[in-house]
Amino acid sequence: MTQATVSVSVPTRGSVLGLFQKYGVYIAIVLLLAYNLFFTPNFFAVDNFRTQFVQVVPVLIVALGMALVIGTEGIDLSVGAVMALAAAVIPLYVGYGLVPTLLIAILVGAVIGAVNGSMVAFIGVQPIVATLSVMVAGRGLALLVANEQLKSVTDPGVLSLGRDSVLGVPISVIIAAVLVGGVAILVNRTTFGKQLIAIGGSRRAAELSGLPVKRILLLVYVLCAALAAVAGVIGTARLGASVPSTLGNLIELSAITAVVVGGTPLSGGQVKVLGTLAGALLLQFISATLIKHNVPDAYSQIAQAIIILLAVYIQRGKARVK
Amino acid sequence: MKTYRKGRALLSAAACVAAVGLVLTGCTNTGTTSSASTGSATDAAQTAAAVSGPTCSLADYKGDKIDLTQAIVGFSQSEKEDNPFRIAETQSITDEAAKIGVKKFIKTNAQSTLSKQISDINDLISQGAQVLIVAPLNSDGLEPALKAARDKNIPVITIDRKLNATACSDYVSFLGSNFVQQGQRAADQLIAGTKGTAKVAVLLGSSGNGVTTDRTSGFVDEIKAKGPGITIVAQQTGDFARDKGQSVTEQLLQSNPDITAIYAENDEMGLGAQAAIIAAGKTPGKDIQIYSIDGTKNAVSQIVTGAYNGVIESNPRFGPLAFATLKSFLAGDAVGQDIVIQDSQYDSSNAAAKVDSAF
Repeated sequence: MTQATVSVSVPTRGSVLGLFQKYGVYIAIVLLLAYNLFFTPNFFAVDNFRTQFVQVVPVLIVALGMALVIGTEGIDLSVGAVMALAAAVIPLYVGYGLVPTLLIAILVGAVIGAVNGSMVAFIGVQPIVATLSVMVAGRGLALLVANEQLKSVTDPGVLSLGRDSVLGVPISVIIAAVLVGGVAILVNRTTFGKQLIAIGGSRRAAELSGLPVKRILLLVYVLCAALAAVAGVIGTARLGASVPSTLGNLIELSAITAVVVGGTPLSGGQVKVLGTLAGALLLQFISATLIKHNVPDAYSQIAQAIIILLAVYIQRGKARVK
Repeated sequence: MKTYRKGRALLSAAACVAAVGLVLTGCTNTGTTSSASTGSATDAAQTAAAVSGPTCSLADYKGDKIDLTQAIVGFSQSEKEDNPFRIAETQSITDEAAKIGVKKFIKTNAQSTLSKQISDINDLISQGAQVLIVAPLNSDGLEPALKAARDKNIPVITIDRKLNATACSDYVSFLGSNFVQQGQRAADQLIAGTKGTAKVAVLLGSSGNGVTTDRTSGFVDEIKAKGPGITIVAQQTGDFARDKGQSVTEQLLQSNPDITAIYAENDEMGLGAQAAIIAAGKTPGKDIQIYSIDGTKNAVSQIVTGAYNGVIESNPRFGPLAFATLKSFLAGDAVGQDIVIQDSQYDSSNAAAKVDSAF
């Protein structure tokens, strides 16, 4: 029954546009890497790719949760504030060791997600409004919790999340890879995944077919915020400091861009997990390329805007087919 | 029908970009605010400054002679006290008011909201303040509050951020750091520390911010003039934030492995750069030297450990200078319209001794 609503398989036309619609983000990455191969010194070095992967981790993890929310035709603007809150609670619990600290941060995130989800699912507040209010209040709360102070984090367990490697692969990258795999399985192989996509396809149809729509929506927002909390812990570990005033600022924009560029439509009904990974990497490579070529920041921002424009333009074709 | 859809798609795309633009603008403004939060500790002894340039006296401003110890003094702080600069600034003004023994001292905090600062200043006036010290949140927008003070001939001393208004008419004088000079002094430190040979990456503050512009031009011009052996290999913004300073430095170190020094326009970015240098397997302070502007305890204490090289202070301790200026002004003497507060500097020779005076 759910199957029908799930796979919105677009019949690919043989045209170039069709190719771009389907593989655009991957083509862009290949082109960008090719450019860097020839024109950026030291780009093709193991260390450099390690840096790029380490830097993309927070955005990527946030984008994974964002993709789920967007799949339900929602949006979550509060992810940056959740990161700040996670950062703010770390110094309070860091004495208990890495695992309890991580769990408490995730729990705090989940609670915020439950607030978002309840407003969206049970009260019927529009996602953008609900999460906007939580975004503002959440950062305020984070500053309150942290007493508006930057605090150094010196616990070796927490710091290892941001600094240590296993067999040459940074721990944060391993965590992100596991999460990408987990979310991909969740979306593609579980009933829950199919249900959330069905809700994004048509909430009314999902309700009529007897899906527990409200419960699923609640869970999706909880998951998104919990992932943002993980990103907050990793970001804090990398800095070696809890900085609730700036951590995660504007990350919702990067995450939404990564999701949309990766081929997940804002209108919901689809979640492209690999596409989201590619979208986040593309943003990372663009920013790295611009920095390494010493291009002023203003151009980097304009480049991001142009990517959003292109993504929306290309998806216009898709929406029509749907 | 088709045309309609196309139009709508374009419209939504435009909205997207507009939204991005809005958010980015908002960000820049925030950056501006925190930027002024660079600062540090001169030995608080700077009192009556040598008068140079245009001056202002009670006769010019048309006010009444008051004995400062018999006066009600109001202080309007601009930003939330969530950074060391603001905390130190308010503390300094409060301490000096107590030391002088004014009749009554009232302070307010606008919590980074312009409208609140306007009503704060009006409140101070209605509570009988005869003298005002104002740390403006913004260069523009305080006109209604200034006018209320002007109407009652209440002298207003502004600190740390300069108003777009007329000195000795809308307000008496401005007390603040010379940000261009801070950049020059950082360049001098860097030239001395690297013995005149270095490849430097510059971590800029937020774009479109006056503090960023001044600290950049001061540094770059000084390097051009006095450091022929020094090349600036990159200038990238770190938005005055530690995480951005860190990630940008990581990128730059990879594409330019021969970088030997970092100039960061505030301490937070310098500390981010330090983390990036460690992550790259190099030794901060030795393989790659770090210089920044601010004077926070976090950065100065790193100089003590040898993992950081120099910090130019941006002094938040306006108390002594502000009250000294007020005292001579109220006694009828001419005071400067633009008074530069002395910023000290830290390097390996004095950091250990002076770290406790850092803010």
